[in-house]
Amino acid sequence: MKIIKTADHSKTTILKTAIKVLTAGGLVIYPTETVYGAGVDATNQTAVKKLLAYKSRREGKPLSIAVASTIMAQKYAQLNSQALSLHQKFLPGPYTIISKAENNLADGVASEFGTIGIRIPDHELVTDLTTALNKPITATSANISGKKRPYTIQDIFSNLSTKQRGLIDLVIDAGELPPNEPSTVIDTTLSTPLTIRGNMLSHKNNLALISCSDQETIDIAGKFLLKYWDKIKNRGLVIGLNGELGAGKTMFAKGIGQFLKIPQLITSPTYTYIKEYSYNRHNIEGIFYHIDTWKIDQAENAQLLEIEGLIKPKNIVAIEWWTQIEKFLPEIKPQLIIDIQILSDNQRQLTFIEKP
Amino acid sequence: MTQTSPPLILAIDTSCDDTAAAVTLGRVVLANVVAAQTDLHRPYGGVFPTVAKQAHKENIKPAVNKALKQAGVTLQQLDAIAVTLGPGLAPALEVGIELAQELAKAWQKPLIPINHIEAHALSSLARANKKIYSISPLLTAKKNLEKIDHKLIAQLPLSNKISFNQQNIFPVLAIVVSGGHSEFIKINQLGSYEILGQTIDDALGEALDKVGRMLGLGYPAAPVIEKVAIHGDENKFKFPLPMTTSGDFNLSYSGLKTAASRLVSQLQADSQLNQQAILDLAASFQYACFRHLTYKLNKLLIDQNYSVDKKPFKQVWLGGGVSQNNKLRKMLRKILRSYQLKLFTPYSKKICSDNAAMVGIAANFHWAISLADSNFLKLDRKPSWSINK
Repeated sequence: MKIIKTADHSKTTILKTAIKVLTAGGLVIYPTETVYGAGVDATNQTAVKKLLAYKSRREGKPLSIAVASTIMAQKYAQLNSQALSLHQKFLPGPYTIISKAENNLADGVASEFGTIGIRIPDHELVTDLTTALNKPITATSANISGKKRPYTIQDIFSNLSTKQRGLIDLVIDAGELPPNEPSTVIDTTLSTPLTIRGNMLSHKNNLALISCSDQETIDIAGKFLLKYWDKIKNRGLVIGLNGELGAGKTMFAKGIGQFLKIPQLITSPTYTYIKEYSYNRHNIEGIFYHIDTWKIDQAENAQLLEIEGLIKPKNIVAIEWWTQIEKFLPEIKPQLIIDIQILSDNQRQLTFIEKP
Repeated sequence: MTQTSPPLILAIDTSCDDTAAAVTLGRVVLANVVAAQTDLHRPYGGVFPTVAKQAHKENIKPAVNKALKQAGVTLQQLDAIAVTLGPGLAPALEVGIELAQELAKAWQKPLIPINHIEAHALSSLARANKKIYSISPLLTAKKNLEKIDHKLIAQLPLSNKISFNQQNIFPVLAIVVSGGHSEFIKINQLGSYEILGQTIDDALGEALDKVGRMLGLGYPAAPVIEKVAIHGDENKFKFPLPMTTSGDFNLSYSGLKTAASRLVSQLQADSQLNQQAILDLAASFQYACFRHLTYKLNKLLIDQNYSVDKKPFKQVWLGGGVSQNNKLRKMLRKILRSYQLKLFTPYSKKICSDNAAMVGIAANFHWAISLADSNFLKLDRKPSWSINK
C-alpha cells in the first residue's frame, strides 16, 4: 500500500499514480466533497470483487459510481427526464442519483433491483481522475460497512483488519475533510422520486409515493426494507399496512417476500390470520410473519394472535388492516406504517409514516 | 396389524377457526363434530368469527368426548389418534396437537400427523356410516379386541393405502377450494402430491367472503352468496377473466375482488346499490370467480390429458369449503364431461368445510407407515406445511 499526501505532491503525479493503480485493478482511497471514497474501476470484475471483500458484509446494499459528467453517466445508466433534470440541477454536488443500470458494469455494482447510483463529486481530483481514466470508479464510502463515516484516513484505518488493509493499493490523503454529510440519495426509477438518505430534499416523516404497477409496489417494498435492513437485523421490524380491500397490501407483502428471497408464494393470510415464512438473505436468517386482521373486531381476539411474541431481531412482522386492530394492541408499535390508496385501476399512492 | 384391518381413529383438527373432532373406521365416518366459531359468534351481532385459540381450548375436550360418544367407542378401543399439524394458525394448531399428544401418551396410542390440505384433497373418499356397509359387526369385534374376520370387511370401503394405490385410478386431480386455499393438486399415488396450480393472492372462498361482506351479506358470506345468486343475473355485471396470458395453471382472485370493490363503491355513490343490484352483483361475481377456476381447469386438462408425454387424469376429486357450492359443481362437471371425467365430491357439506373426519380418512391411509415411525410424543406444529412432494 502506498500513501501519497496531496499537500506533498503535484496534481499530475497524484493522477498518474492513481490511474496506474486503477488500470491495474487496484483499490484507491480518495477524497471527495463529502467523505473519503473507496474506488476501483467499476467495469473491472476482479477489482470490484476486491472492493466488495474490502467493504465486507454488503448484504445487498448497492454500490454507487463516480463519473466525470452526465454524458459519461449515460454510458452506464438510462437517465430518464427526471434524472436528467436532477443531474442538471444538483450535479456536480453531494447527491447520488439512482437510475436504471445498463449492463456494462461489473457484477455487484448495480443493485439487486437493477439500478445504479451515480455521483459526480464536486471535487476536482475525482473529476480529473474519472476523465483521464474514461471509466467510472466506485464511489462507496471508504469505511467498511457499518463503521464510522470516514473524514480522515485515521477514521478508516482504525477499523480495518490487517487483511482489509492489505487490499488497499493506494491512499490519497487530503488530510481532514470538512464534516459534510454523506451524499443525499435520490431514486428516480420509481414514479415518485424517493430520497433514501440525507435531508436536503427529504420529506420529513411522511413520504407519499405513487406506484403505477404491481411490480413497482414490489420494488418500493424492497427498497424500503433495504433502508431498514440494519434495524431489521438489530431489532426486527413491525410494519402496519392500511388500505381498503384490493388496495394492494398483499402486493406490498409480496415485495417484502421478494426482498427477503423467500421462495414460496406470498398469498393472502386472511383465512388463518398469520402466515409465516423463514428467510435467508445474505446468510441472515429470520422469519417473516404476514398477518391479516380483517376478521378481527375485538380486543381479546387481537390479543390471541400473540403478535408481541413474534417481534424479535431479524423478524419482520407485517400487519394488514392495522388501523382496525391498533386500538386493541397498544403494546405493538410499528416503526413503519404504510397507507395504500387506490387512485385508479393501476395507480396506487403509498404513504409511508416512519416512527423512529 | 394386517393390511386389511382398518384402524379405528380419533381425529382432531384445530387449524383455524373451527374446533373439530371425529371418529373414523377405515373410510367410514362414525362421528364428525365441528364446533364452529361462526355459529358461536353470530348471536353477538359481530360479523367476524373469534380468533380460535381460546375457543379451541374451551371446545376441544367437549368436542372429542362428543365424537367418541356418538361413535360409541372409548379411547382405549382406538387404534390411533390423528391430528392436523398444519398448515394453519400456529397458536390454534398447538391446542389440537397438545391434546392429541396428551391422549396418545395417556392411552399409549400411535399418533398420526396429518396435513390439512391432504385431508381436504382426500375428503371425497370419506364414506357415511350407512346401513348397507353393516359396519357394526366389525366395530363390535374391534371394541372387544377380537380377531377381525377378513370376509367381513372385504365388502366395506375400508381399503388402506397400499390396496388403494393398486387401483387403476391414478393420477387423480384434486381441486381444493376453501377460504384459505385454492389449489390444483396432482395425486400420483396417495402420499405423493404435486401442486400444479394455486392462487397467487386470495383464496376463492376468501374472495367470496370479502365481496359478500361488502354487499352486506355477513360473514362467512360465501354460502350466502350461493343462495342469493340464484335470484340474481350472473351476466348483469361483467368481470375480467384473470391471468389468461400466463402460461401456468395458477389462479388470482385479488383483481376480481378489487374490481368488485370498485363496482360496489360506484353503485353506492350513484345510489344504485338496491336489492336487485346486490343479487345481480353476487351472481355475477360468483360466476366470474368460478369461470376463472374452470378456465384454468380446462387449460390444465388440455395439458395433462392431451399431451403425449403425460399420463391423463383418471378421476377428479373436489374438496374444501367452497366445494359445497352446487353452482361450482355444475360448472366443473360441464368441463369434465368433455374429458369423460367424473367429479367426486364429499358426501356431505360437513365434510367439505373444515372438519376432522377428513383428517381421520387421510390418517387411515397413513396408518401402516406411522406405525413404523411412532415417535409420537415429539410432534410440532407446521403452520406453513406444504403437501408438495
